[in-house]
Amino acid sequence: MANPAKIFEQIGRRTIAGLDEMGYAAALFCEAIYWTLTGWRQRQPVRLNSVMAAMAEIGVAAMPIATLLAATIGLMLAIQSLYSLGLFGAEAYAYIGIALSVVREFSPMIMGILVAGRSGSAIAARLATMNINQEVDALMVMGINPVRFLVSPVLIALVIMMPCLAMWANLVSILAAGLYVSAELNQSFGAYLNDTMDILKTEDVWHGLGKAALFGIIIALVGVVNGSLVKGGAEGVGRVTTRSVVLSVTLIVVADMVFAYMTTR
Amino acid sequence: MTAANRPSAEELRSRPKVIEVDHLDFSFGTRQVLFDIDLDVREGEIMVIMGGSGSGKTTLLRHLVGLMPPQPGRVRLLGRDLGQLKGRKLLDLKRRIGVAFQFGALFSSLSVAENVKLPLRELTDLEERTMDIMANMKLEVCNLSGFGHLMPSDLSGGMMKRASIARAIVMDPKLVFLDEPSSGLDPVVSSALDDLILKLRDAMDISVVVVSHDVESAFKIADRITILDKGHILISDRVEAVRNSPNERVQNLLHRRSEQIDLDPTEYLRRLAGD
Repeated sequence: MANPAKIFEQIGRRTIAGLDEMGYAAALFCEAIYWTLTGWRQRQPVRLNSVMAAMAEIGVAAMPIATLLAATIGLMLAIQSLYSLGLFGAEAYAYIGIALSVVREFSPMIMGILVAGRSGSAIAARLATMNINQEVDALMVMGINPVRFLVSPVLIALVIMMPCLAMWANLVSILAAGLYVSAELNQSFGAYLNDTMDILKTEDVWHGLGKAALFGIIIALVGVVNGSLVKGGAEGVGRVTTRSVVLSVTLIVVADMVFAYMTTR
Repeated sequence: MTAANRPSAEELRSRPKVIEVDHLDFSFGTRQVLFDIDLDVREGEIMVIMGGSGSGKTTLLRHLVGLMPPQPGRVRLLGRDLGQLKGRKLLDLKRRIGVAFQFGALFSSLSVAENVKLPLRELTDLEERTMDIMANMKLEVCNLSGFGHLMPSDLSGGMMKRASIARAIVMDPKLVFLDEPSSGLDPVVSSALDDLILKLRDAMDISVVVVSHDVESAFKIADRITILDKGHILISDRVEAVRNSPNERVQNLLHRRSEQIDLDPTEYLRRLAGD
């Protein structure tokens, strides 16, 4: 039988380790903001081309898969909405549920999960490999601040590109859902779009984009913290990469719920 | 090439100190790995730090380059106390030193030339053309001209080390640290690397600290040798004095003899059984 004292000890150790990581992530976030704002004064600016390269990798290169996922989500929502509303003859109102759930929930969350899997893992793996190969040490002895050089560009790129991807997903999902709904209900596509535009308010769009930016911060910090804390060789890199994806997705879902609770009630 | 320009003991003593380590101790948790280290390196000197695995030489190097803060003790580089420097002043000091790591630590996503240009690009306002010229000069010094376009993964072990040295000297530092430059290299390539270190010292008038376990290489390039053993300095003296040291542990290390382990078989078995 397990020793209760040991179990409490394990819980305590893990809690402290978790708090330690959260503190480290908060410190990294503050330092990244600090270097973004003041780096140029210390002749260590965050390079625009590094930010652009990260934006291209995180955002532009993800467009095909983001489009496919967004269209699929739009179609899936349309099918389910028509089915469930059809149970009490309210199919004509499907556009309400589709528009609000896509813009406020599905686009930011699906894009968050996509980017966490695609770019969050890449950030963690890159940082971990750099740590193991002493590249981060090399930056430090050269007098190049690693947070300014490695973290700030990724953080800025994610905070910019996540809302862009979410906005793109909004358009694609609503269009895909519209095509399906208008065909099923023998309604014109223009009328569907009109109804959708009427129901959506600017604050709904901001709600989704705000969440997407928050998810961008989560993905960046989780990737960087896991990459920095790597131990061991190739096995360690694999472990932190997996952990980074699992943790990012979990935190995105939890943050989504908290965000919705705080801003919707 | 040998260390033909090896300065005399008097000449060395007359030069200013570029590194001063005073009473440096360091522990990982409860395990102490450096004990009361006192060391100095003079301007234009090549100091080789030697020792077996776990002797503390890498930990000492990490203190010297500022990757570990001195706990008790003091490390002064180029007249500045590393423990006291922060922010801009620390960055300014780091620009005057160069470090080549054991496995190169080249950025795998950048070409060799981009790796060498990185400190110039990030720390200076030089034009691209000027950076190209400076990087090419350093690549040429390190016998790598024509290889700048290659990626680090395309380089051999020796080329990787030379590219790392080219990056370490691109800012024209006063002090260069080389971590195990000859490890993993065949004797011919290793000897060529020794020649490069001597050439750099003579051409650029820099001080060089080399961490190595290669005895032949140390005798060839060093002005002075410091030998660490279990975190203590066994000897720190000129090459001839080290070579002729009566200290048995020094001779064991120089002649690669393993130490006699005094172990009572009964005691060993008792410990294995957990008594």
